[in-house]
Amino acid sequence: MKNFINNLIERIKGFSFSQWWEKMTGEPLKTWEKVAGVVLLVVFLLVFYITLDANKFKATVRVIEGESVIGLNPTTERLDFGDLSRGTSAVRRVEVKNDIPLSTYVVMVKTGEISSLIDISKNFFRLKPREETKIEYSVYMPASAEIDKIYDGRVYLFKIPLPARK
Amino acid sequence: MLKIRIISEYYMRSFIINLIIYIVIIGGVVVGFPRALSWYLGTPYPMAAITSGSMWPVLKEGSLVFIKSVDKSEIKVGDIIVYRNDKGFTIHRVAELRENDLTTKGDANFQKDAPVKYENIIGRTFTVFNRPVVIPYLGMITVMANNK
Repeated sequence: MKNFINNLIERIKGFSFSQWWEKMTGEPLKTWEKVAGVVLLVVFLLVFYITLDANKFKATVRVIEGESVIGLNPTTERLDFGDLSRGTSAVRRVEVKNDIPLSTYVVMVKTGEISSLIDISKNFFRLKPREETKIEYSVYMPASAEIDKIYDGRVYLFKIPLPARK
Repeated sequence: MLKIRIISEYYMRSFIINLIIYIVIIGGVVVGFPRALSWYLGTPYPMAAITSGSMWPVLKEGSLVFIKSVDKSEIKVGDIIVYRNDKGFTIHRVAELRENDLTTKGDANFQKDAPVKYENIIGRTFTVFNRPVVIPYLGMITVMANNK
């Protein structure tokens, strides 16, 4: 086992991507291919980081019969708008803080059946380093909502780091 | 040297011919498609973007619908029509029919709209099997432009 691990470490140490590429394709890597590879790797890592760092909220609301009837479910784990009758609305707030020393660009994406019903107070905005803001998510139940139906979906909050501004 | 020049001239000519063909095809699609659609549907406004949620869930914001011209006698209660008003265009469902005008209502709205005169009606949504033909997200640019 120890031999195997030592062997593996030696192989990793001696690994060269250029040599491996040349062995596989029979041609050495060209300069532009090396540059494109590094750019692609950086883009991939950035997308990977943004996706991993994104906040994902499960959003749900149930339509109930009656006039001006609201039943709230006070959970902090998801955007639960509770039970709403037609013509009523509910609001939930989320605090967003930029903890990194760089400005970030906040982008929210709604998915699922609830996406047409959710209104986001602000989207596509810039947050300065250490800045904090509140985002309001409101749901209005229209006249055409189906009684007893649960509309659900997800809200993704992406924070994209931006280069420092002078 | 002469051989290189002949080859480069050949490639240049071929490139120009291909470019002209592409421009003709793209121009035909961009200009010709709306005109053909306009002719087929019998209206100068063959497409409309949904810019609000008033017809949710049948027509969602950001979708694109096709409009077909309609005669006064063909309009029925329940049809989704497009009409001109002070705000621009509205796409709502017919709720009441009268001799000189009609009333519409958005599916998601609680109240009916103001009466609409027949001459302000542009058309009815183009339907297949009694369902409006909708292309999701294709009207998003219009929605963004409206929100700006």
